[in-house]
Amino acid sequence: MNMSTASRARSGSDSVPRKFIQNAIWLAARILLSLGLIMVVTFLSFRLLPVNEITAGFLYLVAILFIATVAGLVESTIASIAAMLSFNYYFIPPIGTLTVSDSRNWVALFAFLATSLTASQLSARAKRRTREVVDRQNEIERLYSLSRALLLTDATRPIAKQIVEQIAQAFESPAVALYNRGTGEIFRAGFDDPAAIDTELKDAAVRSEFLHDEHRGLTITPIRLGRQPIGSLAVRGASLSDAALQSLVNLVAIWLERALSQETLNRAEIATRSEELKSTLLDAIAHEFKTPLTSIKAVTTDLLSDSAAGLEQHQRELISIADEGADRLSTLVTQAIQLARIEGGKFQLNRGIHLPGSLISSALRQMKSLTDGREIKVCVAEELPLVFVDAELVQMVIAHLIDNALKYSPRRTPISIGARMSDGHTIIYIADRGAGIGEEEQSRIFDKFYRGRKEQHLKGTGMGLAIAREIIHAHGEEIRVSSKPGEGSEFSFSLPLAPRGGE
Amino acid sequence: MSAGRILVVDDDPQIRRAMRTTLTGRGYEVADARTGEEALEALRSGNYDLVLLDMNMPGMGGIETCRLIRSSSEVAIIMLTVSNSEKDKVEALDAGADDYITKPFSTPELLARIRATLRRLPHAPEHGDLKELDHRGVEIDLASRQVHVHGRASRLTAKEFDLLSYLLARPNKTISHRELLQAVWGPDYGDELEYLRVFINRLRKKIEPDPSKPEFLVTDAWAGYRFHLPQ
Repeated sequence: MNMSTASRARSGSDSVPRKFIQNAIWLAARILLSLGLIMVVTFLSFRLLPVNEITAGFLYLVAILFIATVAGLVESTIASIAAMLSFNYYFIPPIGTLTVSDSRNWVALFAFLATSLTASQLSARAKRRTREVVDRQNEIERLYSLSRALLLTDATRPIAKQIVEQIAQAFESPAVALYNRGTGEIFRAGFDDPAAIDTELKDAAVRSEFLHDEHRGLTITPIRLGRQPIGSLAVRGASLSDAALQSLVNLVAIWLERALSQETLNRAEIATRSEELKSTLLDAIAHEFKTPLTSIKAVTTDLLSDSAAGLEQHQRELISIADEGADRLSTLVTQAIQLARIEGGKFQLNRGIHLPGSLISSALRQMKSLTDGREIKVCVAEELPLVFVDAELVQMVIAHLIDNALKYSPRRTPISIGARMSDGHTIIYIADRGAGIGEEEQSRIFDKFYRGRKEQHLKGTGMGLAIAREIIHAHGEEIRVSSKPGEGSEFSFSLPLAPRGGE
Repeated sequence: MSAGRILVVDDDPQIRRAMRTTLTGRGYEVADARTGEEALEALRSGNYDLVLLDMNMPGMGGIETCRLIRSSSEVAIIMLTVSNSEKDKVEALDAGADDYITKPFSTPELLARIRATLRRLPHAPEHGDLKELDHRGVEIDLASRQVHVHGRASRLTAKEFDLLSYLLARPNKTISHRELLQAVWGPDYGDELEYLRVFINRLRKKIEPDPSKPEFLVTDAWAGYRFHLPQ
């Protein structure tokens, strides 16, 4: 690939002077042929079938028109002068000299020259127009074939790379390069100095400036979408009209934009799919773990319930151990699945407008069996604004924090739960009078599976605070702890306010 | 005499085994089914007071089974769910279940739910202290639990019936959520607002001419529900 691009590039740069020489040779040949034609006409009219000077003049004019149509302006101008000289020499008296005796013949001679020059110019212009039309048509055909080729691009390969290949093919251009600003990628074909062209491309895109280098036959055009520069295109060797170049650049802009939006769409779809798969998988895991736990719990709780009398003390103790083990496993599974579901913040929040106080009371209701026998002080400030949250998840956060407080403070001490305003934020807090948390530990307690050093013996999964933090972060808010060893800890988190005008 | 006939529907054999042993020990008669299809078959051929229905079963799931049972029977249904999410609870109650319990559960809790579900209003309203309602094309016959709304007949489940008769016995008076829950489900209940929300909706579908614009079963926001009886 590299070898072939390099060799193609070299032949491209060599071809410029060679082509020039070739063109010069062709021009000389055409001039010689034109002069030959004038000589033939002279020979015909003077020698072969001698005619008068009027007929000869018309014959010369016909020849010049023919030359102007077939060859070009240069050839026909030279032929006009040659014809004028021959006409003077052979047909205007005194014949055989380049002098004119009769002054009226001067007029005739100059009229002849003017006519032949005008005629050759007109016909050359007509020819140029025709060639231009053919060129435009050619360009349009190439643009059309390019846009058709782009419709068949391969979705698995970078679109910019395919655009470069298709342009090189459609316009028979020896070197094409495309800079896609959105992705920062540059694709080249046929440039032997990639670093230089890369810099030029980036410059053109950033400055949104057009660059045309006649010497290298190189054109660099910025690609804009609206007024936004989205990249640049370098084409060498293909002579394109401004209009065609603009159409080409517009076509590329549309394709780059299309590719970008397609990619965004794909990425979103992949994310949704993997989210759905994850959710289904977690549901299945939860079901598989909870099913055997259900039969264990049914048995242990039945045996331990009052009505099932007749158990020996040690039997009751052993069954309690199994029962507590099942509880622990159940909590572990529930929390591991909760954590897996919300980790990374990629989950759907089912937000609604809620009263901070009712979030707290619902959470307390769910925890009723655990908080029995503990003093719970609830203090919700009056006239708190409504919050815009996923109530189920926020209740889960409160439940985890209450659970934490219950575990890490002595039974006889109270736990305070409340909501207050602070610096324009609604804050929910849960405070205990436990041993507190040392400063070096405070930063680590929200980490997954981290558990207080002194509390390794307590039942816990080390996931509760990590879950709480993920949920609060998903709401775009913060959770923090303040604690003084020996006095207790307070966990608090902020909640997003409901938009104004909501009820 | 047995305390009631219970059909246990769960695809897990260990759970069926545990339920059978536990419930038989408490004086219930127990039969079991492995799938929703088997459960429907069992209900066609036998008489049951209550179905314990697992939500996650292969084949026809628990929700679909619940709907099909409800379409032809007023038997009491308790759903067994794995997830404790609000969505699952409401889905279960919406499908026609009377209650749900989250796996894993303790046996005393399950027994309490079974008792609450099978529980009837302490003072059955059939004893003449309640008039039948016949108003503007809506006929409620309390003796047969039949409802006719503009000729469309439906039957109430036991819990729906109890809820309706409790409200109907106290017309034009707002009854608080807590009072309703404790009267109809039992003294252990009181905070389960979603039960009331779903059951009142189910009742509205059966007795209201236009369930989206309730005429009889009126919500008094934040307070409770009221049976509006035009004087």
